Amino acid sequence: MIRLISSYVITLLLLLMVNGCKKDNYEKPSSILTGKVVYDKEAVGLRSNGVQLELWQHGFELFTKIPVYVAQDGTFSASLFNGTYKLVRLPGNGPWVNNTDSIDVTVNGNTVVEVPVQPYFVIKNATISKSGTTVTGTCSIGKIANGGTLESVTLFVGKTNIVDAVNNLGSVAVNGSDITDINAPLTVSLTIPGSLSGQSFFFARVSVKTAGVAEHIYSQPIKIE
Amino acid sequence: MHLNPLIMKRVYIYCLMATGLFLLTSCMKDWLDREPRTILSDEQVWNDPKQIVALLANFYDRIPAESGLTDVNNEGADGRLFQWRNLANYDEGMWSGQSNEDGRNNITSYGYDSWYLWNYTYIRDINLALENIEKYGLKLSEASKKQYSAELRFLRALNYFNLVKRLGGVPLVTKQLVYDYSGNVENLQQPRAKESDVYDFIASEVDAIKDLIGNDGSTTRANKYTALALKSRAMLYAGSLAKYNGLMAAPITTAGGEVGIPASMATGYYQKALDASKEIINSGPYTLYKNNPDLGENFYEAVTKKANNREVIFVKDFLLPTRKHVFSYDNIARGIREDNLGSSSVVPSLNLVEAYEYKDGTNGALKTRTADNTDYIYYNSVADIFTNKDARLYGTVIYPGTSFKSLPVSIQAGVLVWNAGRNAYDIVEGSDLGTTYTDGKLLTGTSGPHRSIQEVSNTGFYLRKFIDANDKTSTRGVQSDVWWVWFRLGEIYLNAGEAAFELGLTGDALLYINTLRERAGFGPNSLTTLTIDRIRNERRVELAFEDHRLWDLKRWRTADKVWNGSTSSPDAMIYALYPYRVIRPGDAARDGKYVFVKMVAPRFRAPRFFRLGNYYTAINQSVLNNNPKIVKNPFH
Repeated sequence: MIRLISSYVITLLLLLMVNGCKKDNYEKPSSILTGKVVYDKEAVGLRSNGVQLELWQHGFELFTKIPVYVAQDGTFSASLFNGTYKLVRLPGNGPWVNNTDSIDVTVNGNTVVEVPVQPYFVIKNATISKSGTTVTGTCSIGKIANGGTLESVTLFVGKTNIVDAVNNLGSVAVNGSDITDINAPLTVSLTIPGSLSGQSFFFARVSVKTAGVAEHIYSQPIKIE
Repeated sequence: MHLNPLIMKRVYIYCLMATGLFLLTSCMKDWLDREPRTILSDEQVWNDPKQIVALLANFYDRIPAESGLTDVNNEGADGRLFQWRNLANYDEGMWSGQSNEDGRNNITSYGYDSWYLWNYTYIRDINLALENIEKYGLKLSEASKKQYSAELRFLRALNYFNLVKRLGGVPLVTKQLVYDYSGNVENLQQPRAKESDVYDFIASEVDAIKDLIGNDGSTTRANKYTALALKSRAMLYAGSLAKYNGLMAAPITTAGGEVGIPASMATGYYQKALDASKEIINSGPYTLYKNNPDLGENFYEAVTKKANNREVIFVKDFLLPTRKHVFSYDNIARGIREDNLGSSSVVPSLNLVEAYEYKDGTNGALKTRTADNTDYIYYNSVADIFTNKDARLYGTVIYPGTSFKSLPVSIQAGVLVWNAGRNAYDIVEGSDLGTTYTDGKLLTGTSGPHRSIQEVSNTGFYLRKFIDANDKTSTRGVQSDVWWVWFRLGEIYLNAGEAAFELGLTGDALLYINTLRERAGFGPNSLTTLTIDRIRNERRVELAFEDHRLWDLKRWRTADKVWNGSTSSPDAMIYALYPYRVIRPGDAARDGKYVFVKMVAPRFRAPRFFRLGNYYTAINQSVLNNNPKIVKNPFH
């Protein structure tokens, strides 16, 4: 009899444990917010995970930011609960003019949002090609906003298509002070580093850096074969 | 009922006794109103020098350091920080200990909340003590009241220095804040002071207390020269922040000056730093430690040895058998460890080793390859490559061919066997330590280095500074009582040299820097010209592992250039030096000789990456939520 009762108790407990897990757990967030950082309808090329946007939600006891990292093609995404959020462009974080106005975002199901920014400089018409042991990048620079001085234009090469100031196997920079006419097309060339010379293909990007801003603005990566 | 007269008599006596007792005790009027035996009242504490000293001991113990000798990690309200593992986070060294801490070799970028500190409970405790000593300490002599107050104010100034170097200007709270239950807390919410105001506060506090503080000759409690040492360092920081922030392409500032000191204030700060340093050097009771004719050992003893050490100004002391730490257990060289576990956790990098110049004043880069880079340079012994290096290298680092506690430390990565068919060397490394090659001689040393085994140096070097040379101190049973140095005269010479150089007094600067170099084995007046880079390098090699490197790079505004996060950067990556024995029978010029290979340390993953937003640590959101008057730091 005792044995019977105790086995029932154990079964009951097990059942309770199995079901109990379900009962008091929250649903995970199911809505996905996706978006792009854009200038003039074009996505801005950035460093992979270099720039952070912030999402804030008022009205709850816990008030802390949800960091959203931007990928190198200017896109970002976050899994969220439905609700209204404020999207903040962190001052000094991205390679553009500070804009502390937040963007109201209403998340309801899958939502798409565009984050407009005003870069100091942009890269236009970037082409990168290889001839022999040299990679040559050509681009023109557009000055968009006043207040920034051009620090450098840099060509980066790397093994994977994630290429930037941090992830690269070689780079060469032209100082802003050496660029006399910023409207003229600009050429940067680099001898292919030893670590890439045996590769059948690699990737390259051109970037422009504004003085006093940590992040560069990049062209999209170009595959060199 | 008839009672036995004997019992009656006894009852009568008892009654009498009880009445007597009652009469006696009722005389003690306040019998129910006794002093508690387990709680000390304010009057008791603040009138008893012993209690005040006990309280001061608590406050001294809570001084935070980013890296230290023990394992304390509380950057929150309590603010106790003394984490030796952080020594592996920069470019002086890397992590070679247990692999569960390998994250220190893979910091993809320093978080914006790195080096956070917000220990206002500590400041409140000190403010409370300052007020209570005035209010309750009526039986204290005026002199000791002044002395204790001065000591407390020194600790508070030191703590504000520890806050300002991390966060920029912080609220300067100098009185205890009391809530009045009005429902309105606005009067308790203080805005951040200007960065320069906090540095000015430190200077004025030191000036106000330095002649009251007493404790002459003490290295564990603050005295006049400890306070001046704080001023010397703080003013140097303020001066360089003013100068080098202004020289940035886009200076880091906030509108209210919470961050960013105007460049025009640089000269004033440098002058104050020089004056304070001079006062210590010229009239203080300190001398550079020169007790051991072996200059390398002498430098080791200058930091680590306690007996007859007139160089240290202020230390956090430990004392066996009760006040002790396991820093030696965790960091002693593998081959000479005395415990069955531990050792080798933080190991110096080749980057640091190469920063030590040769005694003839030439660049310290080690020569491993011939000038035309066609072959190795062959050395007769594994120690020969380090011949004529700055003696401070020996005092800081255990490198191949040296010994510790009179025990040779066997450092060899493997052998290079000549392969005539391939016309190149085959690299052979042992799968274990202390192994023998087929020729019966050493393959891999008992102290490695090894590419993958944990608790073996990954760089080919071991720490000597702060490691205890006494017997059995690297065991968990005995442990070590080596002290941590907050301030020593060597730093004051460097502060004086840098401040003088920045003020254009190159002659004076040379005097200070050359004195320090002479102790390290350079000839007298070894430098005749000076550059700021030379001074910075002196600072790097003299003060390695003493919690200076990070703060120095921050105030010179070079951290984002040196630690730029690029794998191709020679400064952001941690390098190793692996020694090999050459086996090449028939070639007497090479066979049995030693060659060295420089490489990125195999366990090191991500380059050090310091972003512009790291110059000032992000203030916690909870602090911002509680006090809307506090502005954020730039880039966060």
